[in-house]
Amino acid sequence: MPKSKNDILQGTLALLVLKTLASRGRMHGYGITTHIQSVTRELLRVEEGSLYPALHRMEQDGWVRAEWGVTEKKREARFYSLTAEGRRQLAREEESWAKLTEGVSLLMGFA
Amino acid sequence: MGWYRRLRNLARRDRVDRDIDREMSFHLAERVDDLIASGLSAREAQRAARLRFGNYSAQHERARDMNISTHIESLGKDVRHAVRGLLRNPGFALAATAVLALGIGANTAVFSVVNAVLLRALPYSDSARLVMVFDNFPQQGVDRGPGCIADFLDWKSRSHSFQTLDAAANNRLTLTGDGDAEQIAGLAVTATFFETLGVRPTAGRTFVAGEDQPGRTQTVVLSDRLWRRRYGADPAVLGKTIALNGRPFIAIGIMPPSFQFGSPEVEVWTALTLDPPTRRGPFFLRGIGRLKPGVTLEQAAAEMQTIAAQVQRENPRDYIRLRYPVAPLREVVVGDVRALLWILSGAVLLVLLIALSNVASLMLARATARRREIAIRLSIGAGRARLVRQLMAESLVLALGGGALGVALAASGVSALHRLAPRGLPRLDEIGIDGRVLAFTLLVSVASAIVFGLAPGLAASRAALAESLKQGGRGGDARSHGRARGVLVVAQVSFSVLLLIGAGLLIRSFDLLGRVNPGFQAPPERVLTLVVSPNGTRYRERAALNAYWERLLDRMRALPGVEAASIAITMPPDRLSFTDGFEIQGKPTPPGIDNPAVPVPFVSQDYFKTLGIPLVRGRWFDNRDTQDAPPVTIISEAMARQYFPNEDPVGQRLKHGGRMLNNSYMEIVGVVGDVRYEGLDRQIRPVYYEASTQSTARPMWLLLRTSGSALSMAPAVRQAIRELDPDVPVARVSTMASALSETVSVPRFRSLLMTIFAAASLLLAAIGIYGVISYSVSQRTQEIGVRMALGATSANVRRLVIGQGSRLALAGIALGLGGAFALTRVLKQMLFGVAPTDIPTFAGVGAILGATALLASLIPACRAARVNPIRALRNE
Repeated sequence: MPKSKNDILQGTLALLVLKTLASRGRMHGYGITTHIQSVTRELLRVEEGSLYPALHRMEQDGWVRAEWGVTEKKREARFYSLTAEGRRQLAREEESWAKLTEGVSLLMGFA
Repeated sequence: MGWYRRLRNLARRDRVDRDIDREMSFHLAERVDDLIASGLSAREAQRAARLRFGNYSAQHERARDMNISTHIESLGKDVRHAVRGLLRNPGFALAATAVLALGIGANTAVFSVVNAVLLRALPYSDSARLVMVFDNFPQQGVDRGPGCIADFLDWKSRSHSFQTLDAAANNRLTLTGDGDAEQIAGLAVTATFFETLGVRPTAGRTFVAGEDQPGRTQTVVLSDRLWRRRYGADPAVLGKTIALNGRPFIAIGIMPPSFQFGSPEVEVWTALTLDPPTRRGPFFLRGIGRLKPGVTLEQAAAEMQTIAAQVQRENPRDYIRLRYPVAPLREVVVGDVRALLWILSGAVLLVLLIALSNVASLMLARATARRREIAIRLSIGAGRARLVRQLMAESLVLALGGGALGVALAASGVSALHRLAPRGLPRLDEIGIDGRVLAFTLLVSVASAIVFGLAPGLAASRAALAESLKQGGRGGDARSHGRARGVLVVAQVSFSVLLLIGAGLLIRSFDLLGRVNPGFQAPPERVLTLVVSPNGTRYRERAALNAYWERLLDRMRALPGVEAASIAITMPPDRLSFTDGFEIQGKPTPPGIDNPAVPVPFVSQDYFKTLGIPLVRGRWFDNRDTQDAPPVTIISEAMARQYFPNEDPVGQRLKHGGRMLNNSYMEIVGVVGDVRYEGLDRQIRPVYYEASTQSTARPMWLLLRTSGSALSMAPAVRQAIRELDPDVPVARVSTMASALSETVSVPRFRSLLMTIFAAASLLLAAIGIYGVISYSVSQRTQEIGVRMALGATSANVRRLVIGQGSRLALAGIALGLGGAFALTRVLKQMLFGVAPTDIPTFAGVGAILGATALLASLIPACRAARVNPIRALRNE
């Protein structure tokens, strides 16, 4: 796996997960992974093992809530959904991301 | 998720693990499905899925960390590991735990006293608002003295600061009926006394308003102790009449067992009848009041100051510079003891610090020995923080173990205290190990663990890696450990010096106090003292009472072995009962000045002979001085010196009380040597004696001079008194030797405690020195071998080692002496006859510690001298 992509991804994993849940509502971990992969046309791939610590951390911070449920294939999975605080956090993360990218573009456009 | 859930999940660890497993397995299963769908075989799909997932167990662990308070879990693991490690080194563990138990236990014991006496509120409702009111006698140096009835009435009528204000006076009463005649201690109080304290009886009632006016039926409230002891806890005793001093009193109530005010010996409360006063005196009561809400102590004190000034103006001949001091009740109860308790707390803290230094030293030595183990742990990936945590876990286990043992030690210390402490110690019954004391012990234990564990732990983990797996790596860290231990020893020695000096000063004070001449020459073991109380109706008349004393004294003199017998109301060295002012005929005091109130012992004619008090001029009281004869008095040398400096006092006249008094003058017929009636450490004051046959007061002490041991005469004396009149109780049978011993019981107790602490600290310091020196010797074996090979003799080597020990000790002694110079002034109040910077004591302590250090270094020194140089050199 190309290391550089993963490096960026680590820092923004929370943002991606929150956005995914905001767009798609209730999802399990695997679903979040495949969604990110498909929407970004395989440009971004989540390092799967680090997803779960991140999800549990976000649950601890109160940004998402989780409950056990059943998939169409009749398997048991843990489904995550966004909380109100999570929505607020998403807004905050979107804002910092916008600032970051603008700053980087400005720098890149210079010289 | 919150810390609460994380904590709760600690109990559900397994379930959390399973949940995470399920979740991650689901993910893998889905991934496998997708990979199979894209064309891989089942096995390839499994493999690829796992690869893609990453380190399963590491991620599981991390997810778990989010869910569970892993810190606590790992602390549990660390503790178990620590316990195992300690069990493998039982010697070290036992030594450390024992030393900690001593240090922490001593602190717990002292704190339980501080807790009960200083910190806990008094057992009355809203006790912070309770105050006491006194009279002030500046000429006697008595700041909080008793007032008279007229004073009390003035306090009540003129002040506005008190919600209620009462008076209380101690008395002794003879209880008869329902058993043997018994003398008990009582407290006479005004009607609202119990209300003021906010205490209710367990049965019956207490006094109602007006019950303290003269002419009312006498009523009495019983203590729980008396009720059980004498009346068999029979509830029917309420309403019954009991006889006190021959008078009938109706028992109206019973107080709870825990109730106590003032002396713990008080067993009954009677109403203090406020007879309209005819003069300002006698002075025998104290005020106890509750401040009105919103009134501060300062305001009340200022108001009483104004009232005192008014009363002074209105009674210029009775008072001089009158003040009515007001003090919080708590301060009155514990005031004397406060300084002692703080000093003890300081001393015991020093002992703890010495103990902790010892344990830290042990820890350092152990860390040096475990270098290799620690290095290995570091190299396989244990984080340094984790390692320090593990080492701290060991310290914590040791400290908590020591603390638990210390509590047990403290408990036995407290019960010893209950048995041995001088009677005067306030709130003695309340001292015990309660929740707050246990919390204190826990706090001290944890703090100790940090103090003695952290530094060695940090040092060990830092140095270990660098030195690590080198063969025989002895280098830097061992040296710096050795230096650190040296510093610890210097600290221990200096703390020991402080404690020893404190103990030395107190011991010298106690010794000097014991040598003070009480003023009488009879051998104290040969003076029997007892309290005889003919208080029944039979003896109400003056003549009948005098007749009884006559008969009693005759009977006593007739006993074989009795050389002299007398009665007295006051007895040396400190049983003072009665003071009064005086006026000398022909020497009127100028306006604004008045003669101070001095001890006035009422004594029978043989009193001076019984005690061996020398006659300086004139004569004793004798048969001429009957009830109807002209009143006479004998004065003390101090009085003669002060008031009759250049003339013969015999033949002059003086009278009781102030100028206003309408009593007759007494002729001075003799001058006797000074005797101490107020304790051995107070200054001698003028005294004038009255003949018991001519006075109105009721003597109580019977004093017998015996030819043999006084105590052995006691049964015969009791028998004789009982034969004379079985209704007259006998109490407090003792000897003058006992009285002298009791009067110094507090200084004795103080010096005993300090000596115990000092001895413990000396022992610990000696062990510390021994430990450091012997360790240093073992480190320097090679060097010693070289020296000996180059020609050093055993003596040289010994000198070398002892020199090292001496240097450490000297540094500690110097520091300790310097510190003592600054600090011993806090002991000033407790010292008698010695200055806080008493040079001989300081020098003596320095010598003791020097000698101890020498001795402690001697054994390692001898061991060093016996080193075989060849073997030492060979051993690298």
